[in-house]
Amino acid sequence: MTDTALGWRPRHRRRPKLRDGITAGLVIRYAVLIGTVLLTIFPLVWLVITSLRTRADIFAVPVHILPDSVTFTQYVDVFSQYGLNDYLWNTIIVSVATVVLVILCAVPCAYAMARFRLPGAKVVVSILLIMRMIPVVALAIPLFAVFASIGLLDTLTALVLAHTASKLPVAIWLLMGFIQDLPKEIEESAQMDGASTLRILVQIVSPLIAPGIGATAVITFLFTWNDLLIALTLASSEASQTLPVGLTNFVSQFGIDWGAMSAAGVLMVIPTLIFVWFAQGLLVKGLVTGAVRG
Amino acid sequence: MSSAAQPAGRQWRGSPLAPSWQKGYLLASPALIAMIAILIYPLAYSFIMSFYRWDLSAPSQYFVGLSNYRDTWNSLGFQQTLRVQLLFSAVTITVEVIAGIGVAVLVNSKLRGLRLARTLLLVPPMIAPAVVGLNFRWLFNGQYGLVNGISRYLGLPEAPWLSDPNWALASVMIADIWQNTPLLVLLFLAGLQSLPQEPIEAAQVDGASPWGIFWHITLPLMRPIIMIALMLRIIDTFRTFDVIWLMTQGGPGGATSVITVNAYQLAFQGASFGHAAAVSYIALFLSLLALAVLYGAPWLHRKIRRAL
Repeated sequence: MTDTALGWRPRHRRRPKLRDGITAGLVIRYAVLIGTVLLTIFPLVWLVITSLRTRADIFAVPVHILPDSVTFTQYVDVFSQYGLNDYLWNTIIVSVATVVLVILCAVPCAYAMARFRLPGAKVVVSILLIMRMIPVVALAIPLFAVFASIGLLDTLTALVLAHTASKLPVAIWLLMGFIQDLPKEIEESAQMDGASTLRILVQIVSPLIAPGIGATAVITFLFTWNDLLIALTLASSEASQTLPVGLTNFVSQFGIDWGAMSAAGVLMVIPTLIFVWFAQGLLVKGLVTGAVRG
Repeated sequence: MSSAAQPAGRQWRGSPLAPSWQKGYLLASPALIAMIAILIYPLAYSFIMSFYRWDLSAPSQYFVGLSNYRDTWNSLGFQQTLRVQLLFSAVTITVEVIAGIGVAVLVNSKLRGLRLARTLLLVPPMIAPAVVGLNFRWLFNGQYGLVNGISRYLGLPEAPWLSDPNWALASVMIADIWQNTPLLVLLFLAGLQSLPQEPIEAAQVDGASPWGIFWHITLPLMRPIIMIALMLRIIDTFRTFDVIWLMTQGGPGGATSVITVNAYQLAFQGASFGHAAAVSYIALFLSLLALAVLYGAPWLHRKIRRAL
């Protein structure tokens, strides 16, 4: 291959050379593909393996890949000993409520931004983009002070409010793109037929951008589900702590219960895996187009 | 209704929707009110806080001007944080972007299993960074961890992964690279598939080497998407918290204390909200500066070349 690059080989000899190159190239390509996939999934496979080991097996030296025996006690322990139920419920409530609020607020806002000639819309859109850059800690610190002063600290309401506000800019940004891709003619003819703005939004625009709403909902759900910093800051008692904060509670002064921690980690990753499997197209579209538009 | 006949982009002028910007703001108001109350107001509040002495323990607050920023900038802890942050960002972004381009370019052809691989690649960027942090903490565990286990098996020396300052920084970088490179691979794959094929095919016909095609054609064509990737990673490395918090809590001895970890510790372990607010605004300023350099650099480069 390098010979042809130097350009002194006669042209007619290129053909067999190229075929050899393609074969070698294919081997390299498959090696890279397989290597990347193995590196990607192995740490997660190890998490699952650790969660299925017995306590003695976890602390066995030398480390061996396959467990001596498979046990599900860790999965029972995380519920009975570590109170995973509460963390789980809190996380589900906060994530679902956030998704509902974000979609209810973001769809009309994105529609207004994309379709109405709003004075100041450009300013609003550039503020949305800057909000994407703000470190979460810069928001979490003052929110702690604000929520403390109105007595909302350590409630699920505080978490829902904080997540809704912090996920809104990205949601509006994503939805605006989907609405701008729609042809305006449908809305115009509906308008000529006398449909109200709200009716156009609910009955015509929303169904047309259903994939966009789906992508936004999944992305909002996962980022809320995964959040550590806001929950760590605003929820101090177990009554309002979420799963990621619960994970930090496995780190005690007596060390870390690695088996139970891994089981909790596996349980926490399951919704993500489900969404990735069933909504990968939406996710990639949302993440990549969101990134490209940004 | 003359609006339908007007050219695209102008068609709302004169239509019943055009004058009703009040209606538009009415639709936007729930989101705008939520963002003003829970996003912009607290951020403005903490910006003001960054000019006050504001301790959780002290009953009163008083204006101190820029002294929080000055104290922060001059403190040894922050200088270490700044070094750690810049090293963390530089290394992880470089590795992630180069590995992302490399993998994307190599697997960008009709390979069996590519679809499945793309699904699997979406997993690390989407799972909770907290889980990633604890999992890598376990993998890098000195005694029982898999990484040292493999080293021992291969007869290599064991590394003090999380207990030694330099190794700890390397550990959190590896965890970050593991989690974020796959998203860049997907981003670059999407970018590669939207590239025009003619220049590449023409070069192949002319007998250019694969490396030559990559270096002189693919890479320049990919420049916009590489800029987007760099921008995303710059923003996110200056926001990173979860993985490091669960792996090391910024330790040992502040060796992995990036800016957000430092700000969190100042606020909730040191109870100094004013300093913490100053640190978080410095983080925002630095990421804005990095983006300005990123966007200014090609422009400066061109200007210098033209001047010469």
